[in-house]
Amino acid sequence: MIRTAAVPRPIRIGAAAVGVAGAFALAGCAASDTAAETETETTTAPEPGATTTPDSSETESSAAPASDSTYVDGTYSAEGSYATPESVETISVTVTLEDDIVTAVEVVGNPQKSESERYQGEFIGGIADVVVGQDIDTLAVSRVAGSSLTSGGFNEAIATIKSEATA
Amino acid sequence: MAASIDAPPSSLWRFDAIGTVWQIETTTPLADATRAAVADVIDTFDREWSRFRPDSLVMALAQGVGAVASPSDAADMLNAFVALDRATAGAINPLVGASLESRGYDASYAFVDRGAVPAPWDWQERVRWSDDRLTLTEPAVIDIGALGKGRLVDRVLAVVAPATEGDVVVDASGDLAVRGGAQRIALEHPYDARRAIGVVEVSDAALCASATNRRAWGNGLHHVLDARTGEPVRTIAATWAIGPDAMHSDAIATALFFDGGPELAHDWGVEWVRMTTDGRVEWSPGSTAELFV
Repeated sequence: MIRTAAVPRPIRIGAAAVGVAGAFALAGCAASDTAAETETETTTAPEPGATTTPDSSETESSAAPASDSTYVDGTYSAEGSYATPESVETISVTVTLEDDIVTAVEVVGNPQKSESERYQGEFIGGIADVVVGQDIDTLAVSRVAGSSLTSGGFNEAIATIKSEATA
Repeated sequence: MAASIDAPPSSLWRFDAIGTVWQIETTTPLADATRAAVADVIDTFDREWSRFRPDSLVMALAQGVGAVASPSDAADMLNAFVALDRATAGAINPLVGASLESRGYDASYAFVDRGAVPAPWDWQERVRWSDDRLTLTEPAVIDIGALGKGRLVDRVLAVVAPATEGDVVVDASGDLAVRGGAQRIALEHPYDARRAIGVVEVSDAALCASATNRRAWGNGLHHVLDARTGEPVRTIAATWAIGPDAMHSDAIATALFFDGGPELAHDWGVEWVRMTTDGRVEWSPGSTAELFV
């Protein structure tokens, strides 16, 4: 499912398309109304239940919403600020929710002072919350890089230790 | 399915050496003489630097021989250790061998933990090197694990590259160097080897990876120790570094386990990605890695 950072849509559009009940009880109408279960919209508020709107105009995706989700799938943004000794810095945080799981976090800094910019940007380019990853079998790659495979004595010794530990 | 850009290198030579798996991919099979030269480079390096063989140069130094003829890689590697020591405030130290042995990672693979032993912080007073002499003022166990495998990958590529046309990949499992065409390489999830956290494209460069999941044994012990304490690192689970050569990339992959690693990567022009033990992922400014975040 592709979620784009679209412009926030007024809630009345979604409500008009699927009815007031559909906007707040997505799972309830999903089985009979395929238009209502397709895409959720980007909003600018961090309260998904109140502001996320089903979009009846995007029907190419057919993933059904999980009926036991607490939050509506979608991308949510919020601005935040923090004080440094010299200034107040602002950051923008964007979170993507899928079946109540945070699948992406983007933090964009807007530093006011050069010192803050240095800490945010000079040596570390970015950070993302818990990364689940993708199945390697589905990727078009020529090789995999992780920790070194071990061979010979190391593996034999570990095997010996394990067998002794379970004996 | 692999994309067409992954097709070219077609001849694969696979072997075990220095305790890991090596794969050398070339467009045409390497001549026997080239293979023999590769084997010789690896064997010589192992005889000089392995603390897992009693007849090595570093074990002779550990037993108190004092001074030896300087191996050809000594100055480059030890100079890099000076930069690593400075960048990480002493967390990386080439005399960490005894600390590793004490945690059980010794030549006999005993894996019996005898506790945390810091490495001598003043190693630059104890180790002296020049073009012809490598000297220890008193016996100590040199361990070049922070960058040694990367150095050996560079040495092997230097033998293979002039001997064959076309693309070359020297992959020592975790540390690899590419000459020519782009390799798309998955970054293995340190907690699930079936998954990748991203993909990077590497051409005419090296990619070195380090993680605490495989060279690990009981009680949370693994091979990446903080030399200042002799304790295994806890904050970072895996690192990847992409740079012009494998030695510096390997060194950065190690430094990224500690504060100061990102700054040294910036100084050396090395791109990187790392995962913390709580599953977050960080990357370098301008990183070209495609991350599944």
